[in-house]
Amino acid sequence: MQPSVYHGVWRAAVHTLRTRGTPPCRLLSTAPLADAETIFALSSGHGRCGVAVVRTSGPASATALKHMAGLTRNLPPPRTALLRSITHPQSKEVLDRGLVLWFPAPHSFTGEDCVEFHIHGGPAVITAVLQALGSVAGMRPADAGEFTRRAFQAGKLGLTEVEGLGDLIHAETEAQRRQALRQMSGELGRLYQDWSHRLKRCLAHVEAFIDFSEDELIEDGVLNQVDSSVCDLQAEMERHLKDERRGERLRSGVQVVIAGATNAGKSSLLNTLCQRPAAIVSPIAGTTRDVVETALDIGGFPILLSDTAGLRDSPDLVEREGVRRARERVEQADLTLVVVDCAQLSSAAQQAAAFIRGHLTSVLPTQEQPETVFPTDRFLLVLNKSDLLPEEQKQKLDRELRCVSGLPPVCLISCHTNEGLQDFLTVLHSSVKTLCGDPLSGAPTLTQARHRAHLQQCFAALAQYQRYRDMDMALAAEGVRLALTSLGRITGRVGAEEILDIIFKDFCIGK
Amino acid sequence: MLTKKLPPLQSFLVQVSRRASHVARQQYDVIVVGGGHAGTEAAAAAARVGAQTLLVSQKIHTIGALSCNPSLGGVGKGQLVKEIDALDGVCGRAGDWAGIHFSILNRSKGPAVWGPRAQLDRQRYREFIQSELLSTPRLTVLEGSVEELLVTEPNPEEPGQHRVTGIRLANESHPISASSVILTTGTFLSGSLFMGQTTSPGGRIGDAPSSAGLSHTLRERLGLRTGRLRTGTPPRIVKDSVDLSLAQLHPPDSHSTPFSFLNTHTRCKPEEQLPCYLTYTTPGVERVVKESLHLNCHIQQDTKGPRYCPSIESRVLRFPGRSHRVWLEPEGMTSDLLYPQGLSMTMPPDVQLRLIREIPAMHRAEIHTPGTLPDIYVCLQLTDLTVKFYLNASYFLGRWWFPGYGVQYDFVCPTQLSPALQVKSTQGLFLAGQINGTTGYEEAAAQGLWAGVNAARWALSMPAVALSRTESYIGVLIDDLVSRGVTEPYRMFTSRAEFRTTLRPDNADLRLTLKGFEEVGCVSSFRYQKAVRVRDSLQDALAALQSLALSPSIWRKKMPDIPMSETKNNVPTGMDILQYNDVSFETMASAFPECLSPYMEFSQRLKIEAVYRPHSEQQRKEIERIQREENMSLPQDIDYLSLPVSLSQEVREILDRVRPSTLGAATRLQGITPAAVVHLLNYVRHTGQKERRPHRYRTDQREDEEPRARNTSLPR
Repeated sequence: MQPSVYHGVWRAAVHTLRTRGTPPCRLLSTAPLADAETIFALSSGHGRCGVAVVRTSGPASATALKHMAGLTRNLPPPRTALLRSITHPQSKEVLDRGLVLWFPAPHSFTGEDCVEFHIHGGPAVITAVLQALGSVAGMRPADAGEFTRRAFQAGKLGLTEVEGLGDLIHAETEAQRRQALRQMSGELGRLYQDWSHRLKRCLAHVEAFIDFSEDELIEDGVLNQVDSSVCDLQAEMERHLKDERRGERLRSGVQVVIAGATNAGKSSLLNTLCQRPAAIVSPIAGTTRDVVETALDIGGFPILLSDTAGLRDSPDLVEREGVRRARERVEQADLTLVVVDCAQLSSAAQQAAAFIRGHLTSVLPTQEQPETVFPTDRFLLVLNKSDLLPEEQKQKLDRELRCVSGLPPVCLISCHTNEGLQDFLTVLHSSVKTLCGDPLSGAPTLTQARHRAHLQQCFAALAQYQRYRDMDMALAAEGVRLALTSLGRITGRVGAEEILDIIFKDFCIGK
Repeated sequence: MLTKKLPPLQSFLVQVSRRASHVARQQYDVIVVGGGHAGTEAAAAAARVGAQTLLVSQKIHTIGALSCNPSLGGVGKGQLVKEIDALDGVCGRAGDWAGIHFSILNRSKGPAVWGPRAQLDRQRYREFIQSELLSTPRLTVLEGSVEELLVTEPNPEEPGQHRVTGIRLANESHPISASSVILTTGTFLSGSLFMGQTTSPGGRIGDAPSSAGLSHTLRERLGLRTGRLRTGTPPRIVKDSVDLSLAQLHPPDSHSTPFSFLNTHTRCKPEEQLPCYLTYTTPGVERVVKESLHLNCHIQQDTKGPRYCPSIESRVLRFPGRSHRVWLEPEGMTSDLLYPQGLSMTMPPDVQLRLIREIPAMHRAEIHTPGTLPDIYVCLQLTDLTVKFYLNASYFLGRWWFPGYGVQYDFVCPTQLSPALQVKSTQGLFLAGQINGTTGYEEAAAQGLWAGVNAARWALSMPAVALSRTESYIGVLIDDLVSRGVTEPYRMFTSRAEFRTTLRPDNADLRLTLKGFEEVGCVSSFRYQKAVRVRDSLQDALAALQSLALSPSIWRKKMPDIPMSETKNNVPTGMDILQYNDVSFETMASAFPECLSPYMEFSQRLKIEAVYRPHSEQQRKEIERIQREENMSLPQDIDYLSLPVSLSQEVREILDRVRPSTLGAATRLQGITPAAVVHLLNYVRHTGQKERRPHRYRTDQREDEEPRARNTSLPR
């Protein structure tokens, strides 16, 4: 299908120009940039590692490489490692010393021009390099699965790889969603939500002014309100972007949450795992009321372990808040350890399985209520207090529960005697390892770089509103739309209907 | 176009009825039921594409009637009119013929959101539409009431697949057969009229209710889901009874801009145009509304009405303590009535009179009372319901006519339609207009045109065509309807179009006329030639502007008034300079007459192109992405619930309910994850290559799509 006749006009105009031999105009020189944006991301996994790999793909890769590896004249030979100082393209500050590799199109993973930076694995270095890349014109952080999708587009993936693509994207978007949830529930999240809310109102008012002011009584002051809101937003964003202090320290590591009914032994599990009495343990149900956090190292991977209040309906105000926080944590968790007191289980495996299912459902965040399959990779089932069971029943239970399909991995342990602890650690280790293989989970630096890029776009788009405010409202509104789209990539998409809802709530539209 | 002489109405009716006497047994390619804005555009478009077309309407003399406000166009709606005209539709030219007050709304807000609008002379509009239909080859008009829609039993090989075979008229034993039927029955599907505490069946006052057979077939036999909506219309006011000196005068534009790309001027001379008047509601209006709430059953029900065209009752209830605008609009060149825009109401007639008299300019106003009763009532069947209707009507008519009233009606949930506006479960059945949950003449006409095109193409065994939301407001309208559905009457706004700065009223011909001729077949070669000439001239002019690359000092010498910035661009081109706020093409042409003066007739369009160019370039990538996704069609017979692909139950249910027709539509559905889209794409790609089913419609489509499928790509 032809894109549209209108574009045909432009192509023809450019064509005519070329044939007449006039000097190249802006239109031609910006054409490659307009065709594809260049993306970048941390490609190596998260966790303790010596080397981190940051990858870029797209036409601006060469520019980024030249500016950041101090290669003023020539690009390095293709697919050859080169040791360079890696510098910030604007400030020229040296960020790290590492290997750079240049993969010109089409001989690369995505079929586009690609660059790899092999840098030191510390979070500070990674953050600095990602932010430096974000400051190169035409570059932005990659969306979930975008590298793979580009490779798919270029026909670089085999059939089996393609089939796995959907699952991969699912995993990545899920990890990002959880990461975003963690941030959005904090101070920063409230700030972005507030901006988004104010931008929405601005857009709604501009759109109301465009679509309705000729027939309806839209107060003259509407645009002035928008003007001052946009000014305020610009100033706040500028301050925020300049602010070198971190508003809040982002929790790093794989988020593992211990959840379950009261008195199942959750706090004992935490204390057992961190080998110190980090949480108060007592036989009284409802001892833990707040979230107790502790950082751990499991087989070389950083995890942040949280003990939460036992889930039950309680008349106590403080405990209710604790339960709310517990549920919030489970929603944001990469991995949840569901603790069950195995003394409560029936000796018949089927009944025990049914009990466990019911229990899991009550722990699961409501939006993830199982359809047909249980998200088994995000849960571990810990049957605690095995020392209270007779030996034969213990073995029977263990054997039979393993055969029940649809349940997450089951570990029978005793925090009291440390029985089964070694097996449990092995299972936990392998789960954490899988999660860390995903570069997105628990990597706040990457999220920060992404946020920064989107905020910068948002800020720039607001300038477009200012520029066109008195010339062309359609183009000015376009600026606010762009700003909201950019911010929406952090806070969630805003649809046309939502804007119309605000319009109809704020104005009496009668035509 | 404006020079042609309209045949007198009387002779038109004679001719039509002469035709009607011997058409009843014929076979047609396309039958259009309903003669409103959707029906007339549908019939004309189907005939233009080449189908033998029959238009059936309850009353021939109301074909092309403006049943609510006497105006066309506006912000968003004007864009639709321009696009309908670009596809050779009727309403733009009819507006130019019948307009008596032309203005471009949003003049100060940028050309992308200009809203061409006109007040119309009701009679002239109807005359133009009727004469246009009469002179359309292959189109027959028949007066009659459709008793039944004829459909086959579902095909056992394709469960749920019915096929339309024709219609049967009331009082006729023989069916009329057709390959396609377009229903444009407006508010008549189980319509009820409301005034005060009385209710009666019907879709418009003065017309018989439509047959129950039609709604029965749609709901019971075809199993279509329907919803209920409401709308209303204000009373008409006798002009002489209004003290216009107490209202603000709103003159039209001094230069009347025609809707149609074919017209250079309107029929009504600029100096002959009539003004509109603006008044405001008073606290008295609010008081009357509140006092009469118990007498007003329409307003008490919770059926969804339009939020943007609310009755005066809902306006004062939702926003109390304010004064609301009321426009007094002329109804025609010689009409002695005014249309009070914004005073749609459903209270008893005596309260209506009390209410309007609370507005200062109307303190002595009279609601129009007609001299004679319409003859429609004598031919009604006297069932219980219609007896009641008859009595109510005579009560209304005896004292007041035309009072305001409300209508509640059924609409068919439009997610059951394909982007061709064909009912997915019934081959050959197309729906357009208010029956799909929209409101407004322009929205109806746009759907009518597109349904007409596709009904004709279906009947002639040509593949369906779709308009993308990246290329037209019509595409936005249809995509919103079929992929999102409606919860309230749907009206077009410019804010619904993502690519508003590309989809402008000035370039509708470049966007649609060429495609309409080359790919769709609904545009005459006369119009096509004209559009090609325009396109070529614009291309030449843009090339000429681009080749004017001069140093800033030369620019300053040639055009001393322009504010040049040294640093920005070393060699600015004519395009760059034309983007400046205070530079017009005329001033440039006078500085460079040798290369620019041949293009003076396009000066406004060139200025607009120059201003929007950088933004359109930015949007191009996004547009291309969406178009790629839209070129990936999803087979309509996928069983999503058992598809051997990893999709969550929730996603399966959404897909099964909506049945998006393209991957693009699927990605816009709420609740569809990127992963689900990838799985779908993968499935479709692989099965699409393997399966090729012998089906007269799909075979064409598949062959057409093969080359596209190869270069499709994934969404970002």
